[in-house]
Amino acid sequence: MLDFNNYVEKTIHLNNREEREQIERFLRQNSLRLENDIEYSFALYDGERMVATGSFSSNVLKCIAVDSGYEGMGMAGKVLSRLVTEEFRRGRTHLFIFTKPENVGIFKEMGFYEISRVPLKVALMENIPDGISGFTHRLKKNKKPGRAVGSIVVNANPFTKGHKYLVEKASMECDWLHIFVVWEDRSVFPPEVRYRLVKEGIKHLKNVTVHKGKDYIISNATFPTYFLKQPDEAVKIQSVLDIKIFQQHIAPALGINRRYVGEEPYCPVTIIYNQSMKEMLPDRGIEVFEISRKSLGGFAISASRVRKLLREGELNLVKEMVPDTTFAFLNSEDALSILDKIKN
Amino acid sequence: MDLKRAGMAGTLESSDIMVVVEPKEDDGIKIHLESPVEKQFGDQIKKVILDTLDELGVDKAMIRAKDKGALDCVIKARIQTAVYRGADSKDYLWGEVER
Repeated sequence: MLDFNNYVEKTIHLNNREEREQIERFLRQNSLRLENDIEYSFALYDGERMVATGSFSSNVLKCIAVDSGYEGMGMAGKVLSRLVTEEFRRGRTHLFIFTKPENVGIFKEMGFYEISRVPLKVALMENIPDGISGFTHRLKKNKKPGRAVGSIVVNANPFTKGHKYLVEKASMECDWLHIFVVWEDRSVFPPEVRYRLVKEGIKHLKNVTVHKGKDYIISNATFPTYFLKQPDEAVKIQSVLDIKIFQQHIAPALGINRRYVGEEPYCPVTIIYNQSMKEMLPDRGIEVFEISRKSLGGFAISASRVRKLLREGELNLVKEMVPDTTFAFLNSEDALSILDKIKN
Repeated sequence: MDLKRAGMAGTLESSDIMVVVEPKEDDGIKIHLESPVEKQFGDQIKKVILDTLDELGVDKAMIRAKDKGALDCVIKARIQTAVYRGADSKDYLWGEVER
């Protein structure tokens, strides 16, 4: 007879080398790895032996595993309960699970709902039954008629003349254009500021709607490695997941049949993302237009170059690369704390 | 009691129920319940939830409940805790809820 009182629950201190190695080893045995953006980990022990574990990074639960000898004993329920309770304690209520498709059934039993999946690779789930459907329902209210309905996803960290050029070109070629601003707060310019600068920078265009990308477009849930900016095997899989959610849920809600991207010469993650778009979207009736970058004095205009110049205090050079609206913001009091962050 | 934010209580373990109680703009209570015994006891579980909310004076809320076979007293306790957490209240009215 099993004695359930023998299980010890423990928060893992990832700074403690021994505990970290133990969890890494356990995940490896279960064909998983400890992601490097984890903020909380938890494990169940049978005596000294780790038998189940789970972690989260912001509002995304991941790296969840149960020893195969302990399946069917309510371990997943114990781990999930602890993770969800801890997330709520930290004020997060809309939660996601990043998992393998074969585990979708288990998490459905735990009150999670599937958003999308990449067969054999990864599935994304959320704890709100009408999460993605509520999001697309709200989008539908902004649906506009037209034969060519375009879309652009921008982080705009911050909004440059490069972004403006891409938006103007797409706006000219389309009946209507939908812009989605990446909503994750993991860039130096916070989402509300990035959104505001995009809106101000495109005010002269009459056929454009600017949306908040929220959790479903390049977010910590759909595409965590995007924010780590390192080439990694997971980048390809997550690109595919993100684009699939776009094609499956978002594009149909707005009747989008074009996606515009800026040509990416430097960032390996964005190169893979753009490549996946070109592979996947045309088959689903969404044309991909890759627009070569606007350059200035031999350099392609990019937000990363603008940030570099800001770090070096070269505000006069930045003036050339950003619209007046962005430049005015950079000289305002609201920008002081952001500029401080960039410099340090 | 007025809900200020989402409150959560309970676990996903057998014989328990995990409930999330959220503020709602318009009047009324909306319940999203999932239970392995929904066919047999769905109405009874919802009644316990509604009665408990009524006792606590909550008249607008969105409830999400993932039941794992909880008894009525467990459901009641979990709802009470979730509401107190969501209302940011520690004035436990033991007498009130004992009725």
